[in-house]
Amino acid sequence: MITLSEYFMTILITCMIVNLGLALYGVFFKPNLIKKIIALTILGDTANTFALIIGYRMWVAGVPSRPPVFTEWRSNNPLLLLVFTKTAVDPLPQALVLTAIVIGLAVILFLVFLTLQAWKIYRSVDMRDIRKLKG
Amino acid sequence: MKHWIGICVLILTILAISFVVAANINVLLPSTNVRTLAEIYLKYTYYPWDKYFTAMSPEACTSIVWDFRGLDTVFETMVFYLAIIGAIALARGVPLKPPKEIKGEPGLSLIVKTVTKIAPVLIIAVAGSIALHGHLTPGGGFQGGATAAVAPVLILVVFSQFYLLKRGVNKNSMLLLRSIGLTGIGITAFAAVLIGLATGHYAFVLQNQPKPLAPNISLPAFVGGQLISGSLWFFNFFEFLAVAAGFTIVFLLITLPEKLAETKEEKRAAEGGEK
Repeated sequence: MITLSEYFMTILITCMIVNLGLALYGVFFKPNLIKKIIALTILGDTANTFALIIGYRMWVAGVPSRPPVFTEWRSNNPLLLLVFTKTAVDPLPQALVLTAIVIGLAVILFLVFLTLQAWKIYRSVDMRDIRKLKG
Repeated sequence: MKHWIGICVLILTILAISFVVAANINVLLPSTNVRTLAEIYLKYTYYPWDKYFTAMSPEACTSIVWDFRGLDTVFETMVFYLAIIGAIALARGVPLKPPKEIKGEPGLSLIVKTVTKIAPVLIIAVAGSIALHGHLTPGGGFQGGATAAVAPVLILVVFSQFYLLKRGVNKNSMLLLRSIGLTGIGITAFAAVLIGLATGHYAFVLQNQPKPLAPNISLPAFVGGQLISGSLWFFNFFEFLAVAAGFTIVFLLITLPEKLAETKEEKRAAEGGEK
């Protein structure tokens, strides 16, 4: 029997796979360098979403899984910590994605600078024009 | 019209494939249990009963980023700065100076400018809150820094770049701020070792709470009754400065008007070509 939450989760994963295909198409076949960079950002965000899905915990009996923040730390109660451990999502992919996003932003800025440099030298960001140039 | 048909067909295909997949196999779905490693991280993120293993921070992501896998994050900061330094090196020789006379009134309309006078204050306040509460609530130095870098971008777009440059937000001041941030990260990483050297005990680099081989040295988890989680608060704060300053430099360089962005050599080459 298929439940609604399972169906939604599968839609999310299918959409991510389609997104991956679209982003790869953009990176490989779009001649404009800026559009290539935009497709690369979509590719990076899709990969990050996959990482988050891997670390996700499905809801048990309609109770939402919790973010990995132990909000009852003031109580000093080991039982609450046990409940937290049994209901929170995996924090490791979130920590990796967090740094991946910032580094991705820096790398994208670097690529934008390379494109700016290409525009300053060739006066074009279209790969078809740049390929024709010689010397 | 053709676009709409294509998009509708795509959406319907996705829904149908999802239904078939969800009805037949469940391999794609995350399970109701997380991995053992994740349970260990979740258990020991705030565990005052055994100080040897905990990071004393209720936020599991921050304790992974700056304590459990702290060395990774130091290298990630290095990668981040290699990209920023690459961008700065590509733009070397670009004079970041406002011209002596600016024609007309640069920037957008008065309404947008008035709103933008208020918004950056709020943005920087929220960014500081994200960064300094990083060990208690979702957030941290990376996110706070990226948020803070939005404020200069807003001012760049609405007021023009010269407005920022005249008020001291230029390449050199941001490089100084970035250097303060990176030095702070380095000092925090070596803080336990320095304390250990001063007091004659063993201690580790990137140490936060006491460890089995270094039981006498630890950075304080509480200061004046406030939880600061040892080194995590300092790491978040300095990373906030470094990331915000690094992004601001790159945004300043990238939004320079093209005529001004040409270096002296390029100008000479362009003039020589015309002659």
